[in-house]
Amino acid sequence: MSDPYAEQTAAPARAWLHHLNPLAKLGAVLPAMVLLLFVRDLATPIAFLVLAYAVLLTGARPTARIWAVLLLAIPAGVVVLGVSMALWTDPAQVASTPIALRIGTWGLHAGALESGFATGLRLAAILALSLISGLTTTGPDVVRAGVQQLRIPYRFGYTALAAYRFVPRFGYELSVIRAAHRVRGTHGGRGPFARVARGWGYIVPLLASAIRHAERVALAMDSRAFGAHPTRTERHEVPFRARDVVFLVLMLAASAGILLILT
Amino acid sequence: MPAAPLLRVRDLTITHRGASDPAVRDVSFEVHAGEVVLLLGPSGSGKSTLALALSGLIPHSLDADASGSVEACGHDVATTPIAALTSAVSTVFQDPDAQIVTGSVLDDAAFALENLRFPVAEVLARSEAALRRMGLWERRAENPDRLSGGGKQRLAIASALATGSPLLILDEPTANLDPQGTADVHAALADIAGSEGRALILVEHDLDAALEIATRAIVLDGLGRIAFDGPARRILREHAEEILALGAWLPSAALAARRLCAAGIPIGAPGSPLPLTADELRSAFSRFEARTTLDPTSGSSQVRTSKAETEPVISVRGLEVRRGRKVVLRGVDLDIESASITAIIGRNGAGKTTLVQALAGVVTPPRGRISVDGIDPAVASPRTLAAHIGFVFQNPEHQFIAHTVFDELAHGLRLRRTPPAEIDERVGAMLARFGLTGKAEVHPFLLSGGEKRRLSVGTALITRPRILVLDEPTFGQDRARTEELLALFRELRAEGTTIVLVTHDMDLVVQHASRTVLVEDGRIVAAGATSTLVRDALIPLPAAYLAVPPDLRPLLGDEAVTGSEAITGSGLGTIAGSEATEPAP
Amino acid sequence: MPAVRSPLPTRVLLVCAAIGVATGLLGAAAGWVTIPVIAGAPFAYGLVLGSHVLPGIIAQEVLRRPLVALLTHVLAALVASAFNPIWFPRFLGTALLFGLIQEGVAALTRYRSWGAWRFFVSAAIIGVIIAVVVFFAVDLAKLPMWARIIYLPLAVLGPILWTAIGLRIGISLRRAGVAPR
Ligand SMILES: Nc1ncnc2c1ncn2[C@@H]1O[C@H](COP(=O)(O)OP(=O)(O)OP(=O)(O)O)[C@@H](O)[C@H]1O
Ligand SMILES: Nc1ncnc2c1ncn2[C@@H]1O[C@H](COP(=O)(O)OP(=O)(O)OP(=O)(O)O)[C@@H](O)[C@H]1O
Ligand SMILES: [Mg+2]
Ligand SMILES: [Mg+2]
Repeated sequence: MSDPYAEQTAAPARAWLHHLNPLAKLGAVLPAMVLLLFVRDLATPIAFLVLAYAVLLTGARPTARIWAVLLLAIPAGVVVLGVSMALWTDPAQVASTPIALRIGTWGLHAGALESGFATGLRLAAILALSLISGLTTTGPDVVRAGVQQLRIPYRFGYTALAAYRFVPRFGYELSVIRAAHRVRGTHGGRGPFARVARGWGYIVPLLASAIRHAERVALAMDSRAFGAHPTRTERHEVPFRARDVVFLVLMLAASAGILLILT
Repeated sequence: MPAAPLLRVRDLTITHRGASDPAVRDVSFEVHAGEVVLLLGPSGSGKSTLALALSGLIPHSLDADASGSVEACGHDVATTPIAALTSAVSTVFQDPDAQIVTGSVLDDAAFALENLRFPVAEVLARSEAALRRMGLWERRAENPDRLSGGGKQRLAIASALATGSPLLILDEPTANLDPQGTADVHAALADIAGSEGRALILVEHDLDAALEIATRAIVLDGLGRIAFDGPARRILREHAEEILALGAWLPSAALAARRLCAAGIPIGAPGSPLPLTADELRSAFSRFEARTTLDPTSGSSQVRTSKAETEPVISVRGLEVRRGRKVVLRGVDLDIESASITAIIGRNGAGKTTLVQALAGVVTPPRGRISVDGIDPAVASPRTLAAHIGFVFQNPEHQFIAHTVFDELAHGLRLRRTPPAEIDERVGAMLARFGLTGKAEVHPFLLSGGEKRRLSVGTALITRPRILVLDEPTFGQDRARTEELLALFRELRAEGTTIVLVTHDMDLVVQHASRTVLVEDGRIVAAGATSTLVRDALIPLPAAYLAVPPDLRPLLGDEAVTGSEAITGSGLGTIAGSEATEPAP
Repeated sequence: MPAVRSPLPTRVLLVCAAIGVATGLLGAAAGWVTIPVIAGAPFAYGLVLGSHVLPGIIAQEVLRRPLVALLTHVLAALVASAFNPIWFPRFLGTALLFGLIQEGVAALTRYRSWGAWRFFVSAAIIGVIIAVVVFFAVDLAKLPMWARIIYLPLAVLGPILWTAIGLRIGISLRRAGVAPR
């Protein structure tokens, strides 16, 4: 996301997730995500994974990135986390379950695998739910919705937009500072410690120039009546429509349903 | 009976929080509709502070102790709410990047109007009118980051126009731009100057273009008091000496005339009026030529060719550099002679920075293409390279790494494991030379702009490299600081240091560079003695220089005339220090 | 007759934004290393999560006024989410939690005392809370005893360590004269 402002080529109508209010998308998944922190079984995370995948596959614009995340990254993450958490599980706690895998004298209990995959799937479900808004919403739209629906004062909203604008500038400044420090001969040394030491040297000049820039931008904004009134004219509406209510209610109902049936 | 003034300033004195002395003292003046006021003065004379006070940003946004009063369109700026002020005064600042607030050109033009709660239809109508006027309407959907520097400044002007405020304050709107961007902005200003009952207050170093629209000049002195106030041309003509002594700029025609005058050609000499524009300079020549026959001094180029036959200290053959997927430099062949001052010029994005960075190993060039003082920057370690070639970035702050000026200078020596006693001695000498002795324990970031620049040059020189490369060293500096720096270069050169600098300042090139390299679209299209390039009109000279007859042009540049000989002469403020130089170590 | 001013002038807001961007990018990086850390060394997760204290520490040390810690935290979370949307709830959650704790501790001294101890008190509180929340999130009860024993001090140490780093940055910035008055 190098240019958060890049005019999003308008998402096609059938990619319905892109046309929902960002707050509706967030509100729809947050309860389920909190809930997932506390469940310990396998079925609940699987059910939420299925729900999240169904929503994303029907509603998100199908890009290569989405396919890669849904079909490769998440399954791989589940396997890696599941196996490694199984290895980390204290054998004494699962000693009563049968041995699922035996290598020489070492055995992996089925209980360990189960609890490992429970953790892996739980994290994957949380992740997949967050993708519902994460992959279909732009930062500036979240800010606009916050200003328009949550009545966050617009000065804060625009501060957030300004923050997004600082990002590419930061990248550029960092590359210049790195080059400048290299020329000074601070390059010395390889390995992680030398790298950390070098990185430390970039922080103060980088932050200092960022803060100076911020102060200049602030002056320019003040000179253009920023904050003169409690509200401002808004040309980009991010409305909260009937379809947002429908989505919100359906998702909450689905979450409650999963909870009721499975526990 | 004149109409009520748009701006009325009474006994204004401003002291910044934490400062001991006022930045602006006892300033009083009035500005009426139709006026274009040029605000001049050396760096630190309080121009920006005054501009902030006129627009009400002091005291609304910045804390400062202010006494006296500022009234804009009848409102006292200190007590009027920002919303009402914005429709009276608009400001355009120096840094194009720092004035963009939103993600599209149209949003940016509409920003102030939306803050003022205009209805959507009116926001759109006014933004459209302002953008059309600045020639940006077609680009309304683009991200403003993609505009050139000049484009961004025109956008800032459009945003100011959209509010419909009759007072427009511009604080060095072209200081960060290349010649093309500067021309763009000046064309835009000429278009709006004095129309529709508007008044402009312009802080500007580039007087050539500003003079075309300015009706009045106010000159501030080093203490922030008004030194002169009156019709722009008259002030500049009658007080040229005082203005120069203050450290502010003059139009390039005036500077050229003074230089010719010092070289024995009585243009604009006492008695005849100082020419301020290219046209005036030209007609001064016709009058002058009618009276005397010219003394042909044009043989000078032969003098320098014979001197130029020295071994090059940098040589480049068939250099090609990519950045990302883009080929930024291709087929570059270049020789830079020892102990020269070589200027690299060319439009924005031509590849100047990339070229000098490749020479200094900042970007890694391909192997075997460059020889710098006998080593190849493609394979040499940064430490070795730094001992042969010192590189100074455009923004000095980027390259500071220590917490005190002393440590900053000592850094390069410590890396080389120089004994502490020698470090103390060499750093002490460097501090003395750059006038920083009293600042040894100060944090580099707390120095003034000119001091920061000198320190950054010092850090590059402390390891005694034979070559010093600087990227736009005079960018945004006032005349006094520029000349201070140039005197330093001259001194270094006399000691045998080769200096390569990237610059957009043609005045500097003509006056101080012995060699010039013109880069265009990643290729070198001309390279050679500056006097030759000037004579052949390969350098995009300021109009004032083109007004000088070609055979006299070499006289404009002392360097170009005298080659690498020690500089002698008088009357030029720029040669301070050259006598004091010692032979190279 | 100074004009009526908001408790958070635009300059302060945007300085928070600048600090938020820098620390937000670090937060995004912390997001990326999370999965490898949970898989490879779950007991050390506190060290990673501790990095999320930085926005508030730097903002408070540089600006020394109310609300800047909370605001900078939220901005950092927004920036981090732009690069790493999958962790949005975690970023926002830690931002609100850590920001409120840091503001709370500063408010207890009425925003008058800015001694280093104050920052470390909030770091310790944050450390204990992280310890509890992560314990449930990653189901650390299943870990062997030794890992659980190492986990606890690391979870508390993480925020304290990062607080020390943030303080150093803030002090360096002050020394370089960038702290706005
Ligand atoms: N925010 C500030 N706090 C303290 N002192 C300041 C501040 N801004 C400017 N000054 C001081 O006030 C004086 C006038 O500065 P100002 O920026 O107005 O000068 P200027 O004429 O615009 O100079 P330049 O040509 O370099 O832009 C200087 O001595 C400067 O150091
Ligand atoms: N890091 C980079 N990645 C990709 N392209 C780059 C990079 N840096 C520069 N360029 C491109 O290379 C070209 C030459 O850039 P360079 O900075 O050398 O120009 P310049 O002559 O110094 O311009 P200016 O007068 O604006 O400083 C430009 O078109 C620029 O867009
Ligand atoms: Mg100024
Ligand atoms: Mg350049």
